Parts: sequence; C-alpha cells; structure tokens
Amino acid sequence: MNNYLVLLICFFFLISCGREGNELFENPTAEETGVLFKNRLEEKNDQNILDYLYFYNGGGVAVGDINNDGLPDIFFSGNQVKNQLYLNKGDLKFENITDQAGVSGNSTWNTGAVMGDVNGDGLLDIYVCAVVGINGFNGHNELYINNGDETFTERAAKYGLDYDSYSSTAAFLDYDLDGDLDVYLLNHAIHTQESYGKANLRNKRNYQTGDKLLRNDNGKFIDVSEEAGIFGGPNGYGLGISIADFNQDGYPDIYIGNDFHEDDYYYLNNGNGTFSESLKKYFGHTSRFSMGNDVSDINHDGWPDLISLDMLPEDEKVLKSSLGDDNIQSQNLRIEHLGYHYQFTRNMLQVNQKNGVFAETALMNGIAATDWSWSALFADYDQDGEQDLFISNGIPKRPNDLDYINFVSDEQIRKKISDTKLVDQQALDMMPSGAVHNYIFKGSKENDFIDKSGKWIVNDTLKSGASAFGDFDNDGDLDIVTNNINDRAMLYINKTNDNASYIKIKFQYESKNHFGIGTKVFVYTNGNLQYKELYTVRGFQASSEPIIHFGFGNSKVVDSLKIVWPNRTFQVLKNIATNQTLLIKPENNMPFDYKSLQPKAEKIFKLTQNNLGIDFNHIEDNYIDFNRQKLIPYQISDRGPAVALGDLNKDGKEDILFGGSKYFPPKFYIQNDSSYTEIKIPSLAKDSIKEDIAAVIADFNNDSQNDVVVGSGGADFYNQMKPLLDSYYIKFDTFFKPIPFPEYFENASVIRENDFDNDGDIDLFVGNNATSNDFGKIPPSYLLENENGIFKIVQDDTFDDVGMVTDAIWEDFDNDGLKDLIVVGEWMSPKFFKNFNGTFKQDMVAVENLIGLWQCIIPFDIDQDGDTDYLLGNWGTNTKFKASNEFPLRMYYSDFDTNGSTETIIAVEKRGKYYPIDDLSQLSGQMVSLRKEFTDYNSFAGKTIEEIIDVKTLNKAKLFELNELHSGYLKNNKGSYEFVSFPKTLQVAPLKSFLCFDFDSDGKDEVLVGGNYFGVKPFHGRFDSFSGALIKNEDTILLGDVLGLQFALKSVRHLNIIKLKSKVYLLVTMNNDKAQVYELAKK
Amino acid sequence: MKAKFISILLVAVVLTSCAKEEMIVVSPNELHESVDKVTEIMIHDIFSPPVASRIFAYPNIAAYEIIALNNEKYNSLSGEINELKEIPKPENGTTINYQMAALIAHIDLSRRLVFSEDKIISFRDSLYMNWEDKNKALFTSSKNYGLLVAEHIAAWMDSDNYKQTRTMPKFTVDTDDATRWQPTPPAYMDGIEPHWSKIRAFTLVRPDQFKPVPPPAFSLDENSIFYKEVKEVYDISLDMVKKGDASDEVQIAQFWDCNPYVSVTKGHLMFATKKITPGAHWIGITKIAARKMSYDFDDTVYAYTKTSVAIADAFISCWDEKYRSNLIRPETVINQYIDENWKPVLQTPPFPEYTSGHSVVSGAASTVLTDIFGDNFSFDDDTETTYGLPIRTFSSFNSAADEAAISRMYGGIHYRAAVEVGVKQGRDLGAFVVSKLKMKNSVHSKPLK
Repeated sequence: MNNYLVLLICFFFLISCGREGNELFENPTAEETGVLFKNRLEEKNDQNILDYLYFYNGGGVAVGDINNDGLPDIFFSGNQVKNQLYLNKGDLKFENITDQAGVSGNSTWNTGAVMGDVNGDGLLDIYVCAVVGINGFNGHNELYINNGDETFTERAAKYGLDYDSYSSTAAFLDYDLDGDLDVYLLNHAIHTQESYGKANLRNKRNYQTGDKLLRNDNGKFIDVSEEAGIFGGPNGYGLGISIADFNQDGYPDIYIGNDFHEDDYYYLNNGNGTFSESLKKYFGHTSRFSMGNDVSDINHDGWPDLISLDMLPEDEKVLKSSLGDDNIQSQNLRIEHLGYHYQFTRNMLQVNQKNGVFAETALMNGIAATDWSWSALFADYDQDGEQDLFISNGIPKRPNDLDYINFVSDEQIRKKISDTKLVDQQALDMMPSGAVHNYIFKGSKENDFIDKSGKWIVNDTLKSGASAFGDFDNDGDLDIVTNNINDRAMLYINKTNDNASYIKIKFQYESKNHFGIGTKVFVYTNGNLQYKELYTVRGFQASSEPIIHFGFGNSKVVDSLKIVWPNRTFQVLKNIATNQTLLIKPENNMPFDYKSLQPKAEKIFKLTQNNLGIDFNHIEDNYIDFNRQKLIPYQISDRGPAVALGDLNKDGKEDILFGGSKYFPPKFYIQNDSSYTEIKIPSLAKDSIKEDIAAVIADFNNDSQNDVVVGSGGADFYNQMKPLLDSYYIKFDTFFKPIPFPEYFENASVIRENDFDNDGDIDLFVGNNATSNDFGKIPPSYLLENENGIFKIVQDDTFDDVGMVTDAIWEDFDNDGLKDLIVVGEWMSPKFFKNFNGTFKQDMVAVENLIGLWQCIIPFDIDQDGDTDYLLGNWGTNTKFKASNEFPLRMYYSDFDTNGSTETIIAVEKRGKYYPIDDLSQLSGQMVSLRKEFTDYNSFAGKTIEEIIDVKTLNKAKLFELNELHSGYLKNNKGSYEFVSFPKTLQVAPLKSFLCFDFDSDGKDEVLVGGNYFGVKPFHGRFDSFSGALIKNEDTILLGDVLGLQFALKSVRHLNIIKLKSKVYLLVTMNNDKAQVYELAKK
Repeated sequence: MKAKFISILLVAVVLTSCAKEEMIVVSPNELHESVDKVTEIMIHDIFSPPVASRIFAYPNIAAYEIIALNNEKYNSLSGEINELKEIPKPENGTTINYQMAALIAHIDLSRRLVFSEDKIISFRDSLYMNWEDKNKALFTSSKNYGLLVAEHIAAWMDSDNYKQTRTMPKFTVDTDDATRWQPTPPAYMDGIEPHWSKIRAFTLVRPDQFKPVPPPAFSLDENSIFYKEVKEVYDISLDMVKKGDASDEVQIAQFWDCNPYVSVTKGHLMFATKKITPGAHWIGITKIAARKMSYDFDDTVYAYTKTSVAIADAFISCWDEKYRSNLIRPETVINQYIDENWKPVLQTPPFPEYTSGHSVVSGAASTVLTDIFGDNFSFDDDTETTYGLPIRTFSSFNSAADEAAISRMYGGIHYRAAVEVGVKQGRDLGAFVVSKLKMKNSVHSKPLK
C-alpha cells in the first residue's frame, strides 16, 4: 500500500516535471525538424579567447522566406563551421539546402547574418558578416544575392559590401528616405584596451574597427560615415544595433550598443543625410558592457522604447564572484576627465519620453539582471496585447570570475601564455562556466516584466547568442530560433495557437524596398494603442522575419490599423478581423503629418530667458562619503543647498538666500523692480566653511527686520567640530550680526518655523539627518523656543531619537486649532506629534510601521474629499534595494570589527534569504578580518548575511528594517490614514521636493514634484531620469516633459514660488547645478 | 569490534611515542622554510608592499626575543623597539628547546597575519608531528612557551594602529590638481595605504624622521627640473625600446619589478600576475647571505629580524612622504602632455610617486645587511627564479640596492629624484636602525641558562 502510494507520487511528480517549462514554447528535437546546425567551437592554438576577445560571441541567424512559399526559412552563420541554409518545408520540417544554394561561405570566421532585399527584386538576399585580418582570419563580408530558384550568388564586391574588417553585424535601413535600402555596418575593436584613453578617440577613423554607414547609390554602397556624422574610431566595440524612429519625425534613427568603456551611440537622423550623436542629451546613463539591444513600444504610447543588454548576474553566487562595478573615483575620472558618459553594469530599459530624456526603468520593471545576455527580442509571444521579452544567454567560460583573475589564472596559465600562446585546457577548466539559461519575461500593463523562464520555456544549459523570431509553423504566433555554441540550434515553437488572437502583417511596398522596411503600424483596439515599426535586424547578430505581429488577447476585431509608409504617407484600415495575415500595399495613401505624433503642446512651464538675474549655480564640494564610510547606503554630504525666501533689505520685496556647500559662501539675490541682483552679506560669507542645508528668513526678535537662521551639515565635519554648529544672524539696519545659538553638532536637514508656544514670537523645529562618521546613530532633533529673540533648546526628549530626519511640516492634523508637527526621515515612519499647548506627544496611531527613506512631505487633498491627505516622497522602486512587509530591507549597525568605528551593512532579500548588498572587496575594505574567513571569492559568494557575519555578532548590532520604498500618500479616511502608492511613473527616482500651487490657473491647487538623486555608488547607478510631475488628483498626474519642465538629469532639491512685479514664477533649486526659473504660461 | 581494535592500537602507538625522548635540533632551514611559506602565502593573498613588510617583522621579532633569552650573544629588543615589553620567561623547571619555541612563535604569528592560514597550518602540523614523535614532553613545553610568547607579541602587535587604519578614509583623488597623483591604468586602483604612516614604527621616533627634501616642483616648463626628469624617463624608455628586451635596462627593470599585483588583460581574459614585494626580495637576499655564511638558527633569526625591522620602518618612512607630496606618476604626465600612447615597461603601482618605495627599502635593507655580513659581500641573487626571472650576481648589498633603485627609472615608474633621494632616505634610516638596535653583545656578559 505504502509503496504503491510512493510510486503514485513519483509518477505525478514525473508528469508535472515533464510539463515544467514548456507552457508556452516547445522545443522539437533536431531529428524531428531536420535543423542540425551546430556552431561547434574549438579553442585552437591561434583561435581562442586570448587571441580574439570575442571568441565566444557566436554566429548569426537570419529568418525569412527566401523562396516566397509563405514559410520562413532559416540561415545560420558559423564561426569555425560553415554556414547553413534550411528551407522550411512546412509542418516544422526543414531541409538543409546549403550546398545547392551555395551559401556555405568562404570567410574563416563569420559573425552576424541578416536578410534583406538588397537589389529590390522581391527576393530576400543574405548578408553575412565576418571578422577578417586577425589570427589568419580570411575572407570578407559576403552578400548572397537570391537567384529566385533556391540558389544564391555571392556579389558583395559588386555591391561594394565586401568589407574585410572586424564586423559584428549589419542592418538595413533607408536613412535618406530615397526609397532604397542602405546599410549600417557594425564593427568592433579587437584590441584589449589597457588604458581608457579619451572619449574623443572616436573621432578618429579606423577601417577595421570603425562602424560604417553605407549609402545605396543605385546598387553600389558608398561609405558616407564621415560626412553623415557616424563615428568610426578605434574604440568602438559595437555589439548591438537598433534602428527606429526614436523621435517620431519620420527619419530612422540608430542606437548602437558598445561594449566595455566606450559609450553607446544615439544617432538622431537630421533628415538631411546626416546624424547627430546625442547620447548624453537623451540618456542619463546606459548599459556598460552593452551587448544586443531591441526596440518596441512597451507602454502603448506610440513611441519606441529600448532595451540594451549587459551582463549583471541574477544569481547571488555568480554575482558575488564576478567582477563588479567601477569604484566611484575611477568612474569620476572616466566621466569628468576622459569624457565618457555614465555606464552601469546591468540591462537598461529606456522608456521613450517623447523627445525628453529616456526614463531608465529596468530595475523597477524586473529585467535588469539576466547574466551574460546576448540577444533581446521583444514580441507579444502570448498575444495578450503586451510586449514580452526573450533574452538569449550564456558563455562557455566566465573570464570575469574574480578567483580566476586573482588566484587561479596566474598560477595556471602565466607560463603557458608567454611560452605557447595556448590557454592550458586545465586552466580553462578552472574558469567557471557561464551556461545560464535563456530568459523569457511576460509583459504587463505597468511595464513590469514577469520572469517566466522555466515556465514558458525550459531552463536550458545552452550558450545561446544570436536569435530571431518568425512564424515557422504559420499558425499566427511567433516562434524563436537561437544559434548556440557547441549545441544544435534551438527552435522554440509557440503554442499560443487559438488561445489568443493575432494579426500578422506583411507589406508589399515600393520596388526598391519590397518588404517595406521602416513602415510603421499603429493599431487601436478599445482605445488601446499598439505600435510597431518594421526593422528586421534586432537582438544580436541576427535578423527576424520581415513581418509585423500583434496580439490582441480575446479581441475578434481591431478598430483600426494605421499604416505609415517610409515615404511619409499613410492609410487606415478599419474594423479588421483578428487571426489573419494581412498583405498590405500602399493604397489611397495620404501624406502623413508627423507633427501629429508630437506631444500636444500643453506646456504650463516655460524657462525664463535670463532666469530673472538669478545666476546661482550650486557647486557641491568634492567630499566623497564612501571614501570614509565605505559601506553606507548613500551619501549624506550632498543634502544642500538651503533655500530661503524673505525680505532681507526691508524694501517689502521678497529676496532669496541660497546656501553654499563646504567652503562656498551662501549667496543672496535681492529683488529689484524687474529682476534679482546678487548682493554680498559679509557676516554670512565669513562662515563659508559651513555647508548650508536649511535656512529660514524671519523676524525672530520682533524688531520688524528679518533675521536669518542657517542649519549646517555636509557630513565631512564630525564630533564637536565648530562648522557643524547652526547659525543665527540678527539684522541691524545695515548689517547682519552673528548671535549665539544653541550649541549642538549635528548635520541639519530641515528648519521649520512656528510659534508653537503661542507667545507671539517665532519658534523653530530643527531636524537633523545623520551623524558624520557614524551613520546609523540617530542624531537628536530639537525644538528651539524663542525667548525675546534668543533661542533655547526645549529640554524635552521627545525629538532625541525621532530618526534620521529629512523634512517636517507644521500642520494642524487634529483640527484643534494648534499646529502640530509631522516629521519624516530615512529608516523611519512618518511621525505625527500632537501639540498640547506647546508640548508635543507622538500620536502613535496615525501611521504605523511605514518605514521608508522618506525625503519630503506636503499636505494636499489628493482625493478631493475635503480632508487633508499627505503626499510623501520616498526612494522609489527603481533600485537594487527591495523592501516589503514580508521582506524588509535590513541595515545592521554596529562596530563589527571592534576597532572603535562603526559600520553599517545593508542586506537585501533574494528568494527568501538575506544577502549583503556589498561584495567581499567592499566589505573587507571596511572589515579586514573577513578576508581571513573568506580567502577567495568563491567561498564568500552565495553566502547569506548570517553565514558571513555570525549570528551572535549580528544580534548585537542595531537592526533597521525598512518596508516601504514607494512614494505615495497617506490617504485620510476620516482621521485614519492609509498609505497609497503613486503610479510607477513616480517611482523611477527618489522624490525630493513638493510644491502646492495652482500652476495651471484652473482654480484648483496641484502639487509639483521634483526629484532624482546621484549620491550612490556605481553599483546603484544614478537616479537621473525623473522629469518632474504635476499631481492634480489621485487619477491625474502629468509628467514633466509634457509640462515643459527640464528636471531630468538634475537633482531637484527645492521648489519655490517667487513673485516679481505681481507675476509668479517657479524657482527650482538643484544640487550641484544651476537654479532654474520658469514662467507659468497660464498665469 | 573493529573500532575496539583500532583504539587499542592507537593507545599503543601513543604510549610508545610518549616514551620517546630524542634530541631535537631545529635547523635554520626550517626557519627559512617558514619564512618562504609566509612569502608564498602573501603572494597568493595579494598583500601590498607595506602590509607585507609588517607581516615579516612581527614573527621575526617574536622568534628573536625567544632565542635572545637563551643565547648570550644576543640582547632582547624590549626597550629598543617601540613599546615592546619583555616577553614572559618560561616557568622555572621546564625544559625548553628555544629554537623550537622560537619557530613555533614565528609560525603562529605568521598564521595570524596572513589571510590563507591553511598552507601555514599544514606546514606547522607536519613539523609538530615530527617533533611530537621525537620527544613529546619537550615538544609540549616548547610549544606552550612559543605560543605564550606569540600571544605576548600579538597583544603588542594589535596596538600598532594597523586595525584602525583599515577603516580610515580612502585616498581622495583630486583630478583637478594637475600635480597630484591619480589612479593609473589599467586597473585604476585607489591609492593604497594612505594612512600607513599612522602605524606604529619599530624604531622610528616619528614617521617623518627621515623626511626627504621635497620633490622637484611640478612644472611643464621644459627647463624645469621636474620636466627634465619626466623627459628623462620618457627618453630612457624610447632608448630601451631601441635596444630591445635583452638590454641591461630591461633586464634590470624586470628583475626588480617586485609588484605583487600586475593586472593583465589579454583578449577577453583578465588576470593578475603576482610577484613578491620589494621587502620580500630583500628578505630573500637575507636568506641567501645567511645560508652562504652557514649561519646557525639563532644567527639567522638575528639577520632576519634586523633586516625586516629596517624594511618595515622604511615603508613607514617612505609612505609618509608619498602621501605628503602626493606626486603624479610619470605615466600620467607623459600620457597627458607628451605621448598619449606611452606605456611604462613596468606597470605603475597604485600609490604616489615620491619617493620610490623600492629605493628606500633597498637602501635600508642593504645598509643593515652590510652591517651584519660586511661590505663587498658578493652573492648570486636567485630570489625570483620561480617567477621566471634570471639569477643576477652582485658584488655587494649596496651595489644591489643601487641597481634596485635605478631599475625604477628603467621601469618608467619613477623620476630620478625619487630614486636618488629615496635610496639615501633608506640608507640614512638603515644606519639609524643599525645604531639604535644593540642586538649583539660584544662581550658575552649574559649568564648561560
């Protein structure tokens, strides 16, 4: 009986196992399909990863119907093996026709393979790239012209495409809109760059390594790179290429992914045969070791979005044993001195903001880490109307394994390399395998990508590189093929079939561009837009079937299909049934107005011409917190500048005080009749050593003249160092005099004034943020009572350990007529303090256990129900931090190595366990004893925090737990508060400042939001792509680009309304950047 | 059943071994082996040159203090070396093999100082087994005493501020200052050990006791001393390229490279080639000299101790100056102003230029070795043959030091001033160590124990 049960269980287990991993895609065997191609790769004396750095990049794959029988065929290019062409015979049977077709190839080492109709005869030709000129690699890029009878003739020389250089792949596009297809040839450098060199190396030209734009002049391809503004330097490591009309002006643009330290290139087509490389203007940061990339509209706004792949491992073990990010100082060197852009090691999802800075959201959307990734293919695989994502993955050996670099390689191969140039097989064996499974993600409404690897597809051990899609079985859904190293090519056959509807579109465009490359399709169903543009070269070293494919869930009919042809004409088809393949030709096409795609001009904000004379430029001093406190989660030295408004010269007009960072004096702008003028106030300038974080201008001594209080911070000074003292200056008729102020040595974050004891003078709350050199220690914050113009600390311990304060507001939340105090901060819940006639008691029930990295708070009736809600700026979710109630982010604070200085260790949950966010080098840089316990990286990698720091020591540490990273609001439900997250568009970066005002003159107040933050290590990247937002109510939130705000790439710290000649302006103060002044267009 | 039999057997073995009371002679070779072990592990663990110098010094001092108790030729260093207190004496009536105890203390402190303990433990255990087998009682008492002294030295060692310096701020790079040191290719590592001068020295009263003259002022004026010295480094390298790899200059540069971590990238492969540090090279020379003179155990300990103390203080003195002058490396200057593509023959190590560490250390070590073994002591230096380097023959320690110093110019990593001033800084320091440490008794006044 018992045995029987066990057997039964085993049986079920086996069955379920069998089903595991092929819910959406099936992998027919090579024997079944006849596709036997295998990119067999052997390390040889003169061909190995030492002699050619891209030895493991693999071959190419191109999908297209070469014999026009309606079935897509497959061409594979090989490295050491010959190319193969498989004819699709239907029913998923393929026939190898390489020999009769004459396409096996003559080059030693082939790379990318792409199909395109080069000569405009309606037949797909094949262009095969090659690496030529190193290691005895011979040959040239080959162009196989389709003879129409399943044979091909190599004609590269005739067409001028017989380049013998270091090619990765090529793409077809009609960049000059002259009707024929031009070629972008993507090349790569093969030398190992020992020193970075300056970024402007890319302005040089190098035949072998430089990319080339090749214009089709009546069948002859002419190199126009230089005149067209295409870089062709010795430093281009081109691995990824995407063509798309990124700015929707009708001209195709180009995104190039470059490996290593070379920046990616973003070429915007000027429409006159030239391009403007504009990466730094439109991207805050990019992937670092850029590999393949792909484009699709993932958010239904009709604009192309981009993913660029990198090699960040998901697995803890691999992550912690692989070479990590740059250290912050060499990053600064590369960017500030050598001219490169910000690059970080992870996949980057760049969401198009319609001519604004792309919002990079890969972390937030769950696709940042897919290990050694080559090819990305966006498509709606399950046909639910959302773009899914396939990522091919794997490398035979991981050359970036730290133990290999530091310990193994030297001992094993030192001699071999110098003596025989052969990598010892034994040494190679010690390099860990990078056979990571391919990934597939299901797209969703909020752009979140849900990992379906192991469910939709089987978790393989393939080393897959080039990949392409096509509908091999002609059943309407998209199938995938991958070219694999040392394994047979893999077919992924989609089983969506009748479960969801689709439309497949083929074009029959003008003769020179028969397949309609560059044609756009806008399709509407129930008000929902999907958009695609036909470019076949996507992913990596590959081209896909020249079709457009959409999924529609269970819709039977789509409302309309708008086709925009490359010649800027369009036609509309209405009420089209789904589940069919359409062949569309230009018919009744009309001129298309590209301006109609541009965002409707609803710009509420307009930068003033002269900034009203306010030329304040905040310069952050170059103190780097991480040089001293190596493990803290973010900097605390960059919280400035202070901004305060108030009349400083008693002329009845409001003036402005801007704080300076350490050694920079504060600046003062006095309001004149038509602008502001800077004046000097010597007594405040004298204290320039102080970093001014918060300031208040008010008449504290009731002499009808405004005085100034400045809160100091900066985190560089510590203990009882004088520059940490806050300052108080009383205005006499012509000068400000420093006046004694309570002595405490903390890093101030906020000062808010209020006569809390109701005695007719202005009292203060001073919030302090963090303790220099002792992050994790809670600094006391203070209530300062004003007694005849002199401030005294209210001796009351209410605010001693309130937390790491960032912001506070005086607000009568209990409606008793007395202003209460709400304090927010980092690693704490918002805290509500009730005012009992001048004494304060925390209202514990208001908000419980909502521990975030709160940056700012503002009262606002967001749900328009008449009571006050509170908007809260937090860190956002576009981060490597993770926090939830179940798995809060942890920070341990202790003197772990008992050397008299404390450290913090951040631990983040992965699959139910906690791991330190820092790697062994970082941790042991602070706690050297760890190197004794973990003498190599392998022994450390994959260890949980409890396995690294023993539990006893951990228990002694103070534990901070953080359960909320979303920005959002406390919704006031009749006096009790419920936290509601803002939509995802407001989670891309920390929100740093709010301002409530009726900006659009509709009679109702809105809240303007500013954010972004850069004070984190390269490991975290930069939070740079939040463009600002205007919150009208719970449902209406407008993003900054549309509004006319230029907040992206800058870290906003303060938003203020200033009034000049009864006109209102918006003053925006940034950290380490120039202040901005906007006119309000509707005022 | 079987288990019983084995335990009986074990008891029998233990009993028989207990009974043994052989004489044990600890040879200098076993000490050399222990030092070599430490050197080998340091290469694996990638200790920077200053840290490596500290790792050599403490175990030697521990061993020396033990043999000095028992050898009338030698005086304790307590009172002469900063804050070193007399080691505890063995309990009355215990018989101790002082050489064995010294070696045990040496091994134990080495074990504490390196990261990868495994190799040292297996080396230790094989010695232990051998000694225990020969004479368990003697071994046990010597071991207990050796470990007691190791504990004493470790407590003193722990108060040298090393631990505190681990968490001190990293060196802040200021790329806006053209004169200042910047991280160099290919690894662009942070400046290592910016706080090394805060570590307690062994003999120095202050870290800047041998503060060298400031380096020539940074200038791009072709007539300035600084620029001429930059140009000299550049010209030497061009000349070396002409002469080829077989030239003396290339040979000398390579021979004295002594870089514990050279980052190499080939194809898509990255790896580190690792060699011993400058300090370890001179420790190696000490071994060669001691062997050549057939020094016994105690004399060998003496030679190692004095040399390693001088080397350790040389690093403190040198690092004090490096992070005072913070001078830019030739590679950075030449790349920026003369030749964008120039690469030095040796990889530039990750710390400021002035003075040359190898020059200071070689100056100090050679002076101490000359004091111990005499001038014009010729020797064949085969220290780095395991790293593929040839044997070089020197007529004296001083001539070896001169060559080590100039090798840094051939290597393209130092200017002339750093080399010439550096070797003088080292010799002055070495002379100070020689005069300060009265280790050897001229008259055998100590009663024999």
